[in-house]
Parts: sequence; structure tokens; C-alpha cells
Amino acid sequence: MELALILLGLALLVVGAFLELVGAVGILRLRGFFNRLHAATVSAIGGSAVPLLGLSLLSVALEDLGMQRFHLLGVCLVAALLILILAPAGAHALARAAYRSGEVAKDFTYDAIAEDGVGWD
Amino acid sequence: MEEVVTRVIEVVILAYLASATLFLVRAVRGPTVFDRVLAVDALSYDLAVFMVLLALYLGEPMIAIGAVVLTLWIYSLDIYISKYVESEGIGD
Repeated sequence: MELALILLGLALLVVGAFLELVGAVGILRLRGFFNRLHAATVSAIGGSAVPLLGLSLLSVALEDLGMQRFHLLGVCLVAALLILILAPAGAHALARAAYRSGEVAKDFTYDAIAEDGVGWD
Repeated sequence: MEEVVTRVIEVVILAYLASATLFLVRAVRGPTVFDRVLAVDALSYDLAVFMVLLALYLGEPMIAIGAVVLTLWIYSLDIYISKYVESEGIGD
């Protein structure tokens, strides 16, 4: 049982580290704010929530931490849940503000908001 | 098994440090304020995972408590910046 938890946790951790690197390269290399927003979401959910879930499994399987491993489990689960809820909400608020401020270049192939002429209000 | 876990955590810590450097480059270079906020956003989520990794690696679970606060703080930064920009505009 412990071996399965450790292996699953390590797998999630390695996948998360890979996605974090992908998101970091994307946020550095992609052109335009909205493309970078896409890369940032990869690094927020794939690179932070997934490895935190893996770390919660890993920490509960490591017996040598004693009872404190449940503290680590709780922190990891709460942080992963908060990231899952708050990262999309924050990214959406940022995208909305960027679109409406006019500071960011809007080089879209199709802009449904401008087409409807209604905006977000 | 513990040895394998420690080795994997060392490699993953290096990966997170490398991506933190890339986020930092974007936060400094970012042409608009939104790019900077986005980079700081990603950097803080990175740091939250990094804290838990460090807690496991050093065997000190109390280090990890900052991860929850960091995720809440970065959401408040997002909301504050977007509200400010939408209601008052930036620059002049």
C-alpha cells in the first residue's frame, strides 16, 4: 500500500515538474499577453496543483515524519484545492482587465466580443 | 525507497528553480503590467510547491505552512490589479 502511494506520488510529482518547465518556457517564449496567459495556466494547474496532490500522497506514505506527515497532507490538499479554485478565477479577472484596458495588443484571429458589440457588461 | 524519493525530490527542486528563473526573466522584461503580474502569479504558485518540496526534503513539515498563504495572496494580487486597472486606468 505504501509503495503504491509513493510510486503514484512520485509519478504525479515528475509530471508536474515537466509541465512546470513547459509552462515556464511558454511564458518566456510565446508572443502576446493572451498566449502567455495560456502558458501560465499550464504552469498553474499542471505545474502546481498536480504536484501538490502528488506530494500529499508522498508525505502520507513516508512514515519517518511521524504524526507531522498528516500536517503536511492537510497543507498540500488545501493548497492544491485553493489553486484549483483561485488560479482560473484570477487568470480570468486579469484577462478581462487586459482586454478592457486596451494596453495589450489584440491580435486575435476571431474576436467574438468585438463582433457582438456588447462587451462584458 | 526513501533514497529514491530523496533523489527524485532533489531533481524536481532543480526543475522548479530553473522555471522560477524563467518566470523572473519574464517578470523583469514583461512589456505591459499584465505580463509582469502574470509572471509573478506563476512564480508564486511555483514557490508554494517549492516550499512543500523543501519541507519534505529537510524533514521539517512546519516550513510548508506558507504555501496556503501564498496561494491566497497571489489571488488577492490578481483581483487588486485587475480592479484597479478597470476602474481607474493605468499610466497617467
